[in-house]
Amino acid sequence: MIFYLGKIFKAISQNAVQTLAPGAAFLFAYEGDLMTRIALGLTLFCVIVISLAFIRYWFFRYQIGADSILIREGVLKKKQLDIKFKRIQAVNTTQNVIFRPFDLVTVQLDTAGSAKQEGYLPAIKSALAESLKARLRDETRADDTPTDEETDSTDASRKILSLTNFDMVRIGLSSKQALIILALLSPLLDNIGNRIKKMVDESALLTVLDNAGISIAGGVSLAITGILLLLLLLAGASITGAFLRYYNFELRAERESLRSTAGLLTRHEHSVSLNKIQSLRAIQNPMLRFFKRFRVRAKQASSGKRTDEGKQFIVPLCDLSQLPQLGAAVFADEFPYLNLDPTSSKWRPISRSYIRSRLVLFGILPTIAAVSLFYALIGNAALIFLIWLPLCALAVITSYRKYGYDIVETGVMLRRGFLGYQTTAFLHRKIQRISVTQTKLQERKGLATIRFYLASGSLRLPYVDFNMAKDLRDYILYKVESSRFGWH
Amino acid sequence: MFENPEIAVDDLPKVETVEWQDMDPKFARRKLAESAIAFVIIVLAVVILQIVFGVVLADNGAPRLIRTLLLAPLVLVVPLFAWPLISVPKKGYAVRDKDILYKSGVFWRTVTAIPFNRIQHVEKSSTPLDRKFNLASLQLFTAGGSGGDLQIHGLPARAAEKLRVFILDKIGSTLEKN
Repeated sequence: MIFYLGKIFKAISQNAVQTLAPGAAFLFAYEGDLMTRIALGLTLFCVIVISLAFIRYWFFRYQIGADSILIREGVLKKKQLDIKFKRIQAVNTTQNVIFRPFDLVTVQLDTAGSAKQEGYLPAIKSALAESLKARLRDETRADDTPTDEETDSTDASRKILSLTNFDMVRIGLSSKQALIILALLSPLLDNIGNRIKKMVDESALLTVLDNAGISIAGGVSLAITGILLLLLLLAGASITGAFLRYYNFELRAERESLRSTAGLLTRHEHSVSLNKIQSLRAIQNPMLRFFKRFRVRAKQASSGKRTDEGKQFIVPLCDLSQLPQLGAAVFADEFPYLNLDPTSSKWRPISRSYIRSRLVLFGILPTIAAVSLFYALIGNAALIFLIWLPLCALAVITSYRKYGYDIVETGVMLRRGFLGYQTTAFLHRKIQRISVTQTKLQERKGLATIRFYLASGSLRLPYVDFNMAKDLRDYILYKVESSRFGWH
Repeated sequence: MFENPEIAVDDLPKVETVEWQDMDPKFARRKLAESAIAFVIIVLAVVILQIVFGVVLADNGAPRLIRTLLLAPLVLVVPLFAWPLISVPKKGYAVRDKDILYKSGVFWRTVTAIPFNRIQHVEKSSTPLDRKFNLASLQLFTAGGSGGDLQIHGLPARAAEKLRVFILDKIGSTLEKN
């Protein structure tokens, strides 16, 4: 057993940032006073921060045992954490600019269940982090397939993909925030040509008429350029964010894990053991569709809380040809005919009854209700609610067409979407429970909705053949109950 | 040696052929008792509202809106007391060697299956009302915790306890095998 002293000396800087807020408030309160007072306050503050950091550092100890890692921390409120290697889902390391010259990293250990990061080692030697990772890898392997030793002696680490600078721009532009920006931008873009033309004409005219005053057209143009500038700024911020987070992104497949490294200033290293991955999802929003790229998420077990989004392994960008490679890296040969390409012809459609039922439920019934309710109040004007019908029909038909599924011997693939696509693949044996639901209408039509519950969340497959659903359920139960592999 | 014999899908054990266990008939009565309590509370609330507004606005008489509230208990009485009688017979569970099945729902009829080797832990609970009728509910937790975990209400207290022990036993035995 080795006893290590936690090297969080460097964490002082982080603590300083944390405690900076009251400090700033302090300075603000004394703004009107003498400079000496400020200086005094500042030194006092620095002393407090440093001593606090030092105390925290002194009380932080960790110990790496035979099969678990023990963390002890806290000055007044003592906290002791004992994490079993077997329960660790993923190891993430980050190295910020300050840590880099000292060859230190921050290690975060993900475990299933709790929403926040559990194990946290603020500053340890990167070599030690490496050995810790190797240790975890061995642990998970020894757990599962002790016989495959000879096969994986050949490759230590294989590069799957890396991203270029241009990809960073794509990531930045296709992020969620950027989508909103573009949504705002698109109606503007239509008018912009006309407006500029008009503006130029009018402003020329107006400057002739009134040189000194600010013309209305000038005001409008100013506003538009302002908005445009703001949008550009936001897009720029998004791209900068992508650069900071994913610069020099590299994804490597190791024997039993995936590992990604990225980051401009702070290097993030994220690694996840393959058998902790519950499902693999390829996402293509409209922007990514335009770029012909995908974002891939390998989801781990989560507590189902919203704050749990972090428990996934993200590949921010990859193209169609890299999808199968990624799939092969995650599922190895356990998932034959894996297909995450949303445009492939292999997807089987769900029943057309979906359109009818959704249209009745979300389109016709609310419209009738709204019209009849408002008819008494506003008379014929209530007929305006009829507009909802074609809109709803369009939405329902679009989402119907995006639904698709495919089932192979060892796993399920699902596709859904509205504006973009989202395809998910998971193995039968990762399923926690399964439910089959029938409404009255579905019963008449011989249809059912299946819900798959995974440790990473639940997935729905609506309006499929009832007999198929029953057979699939029986088959999955058989698979789950007879599989010699677990779900974790 | 690893074997992988071919499986004929038709020969797999079928969920639909199981014998469903109904919930305890007392469960419907317990639900009715719950409805009765709710009903009494609603009636009390309406009556108090009437009195309060009747006193405060004695000159003008209670506003029409408040008076129409008197109808609320009348409207609610049917669903409150009919629903348990409709929904409880639709619920049912079945325990097989390797999994547990639970069906429920009147309009949306759902059959959920949980394999024992995926259950993390089991929780048995009973409210005072449950205890009055000698009932208990069982909650089965699987990993991930998404969408709530499966709850089986209205089991006879003894059956719930037996089931709990049985499931724990099953979890233990699957753990040993792995």
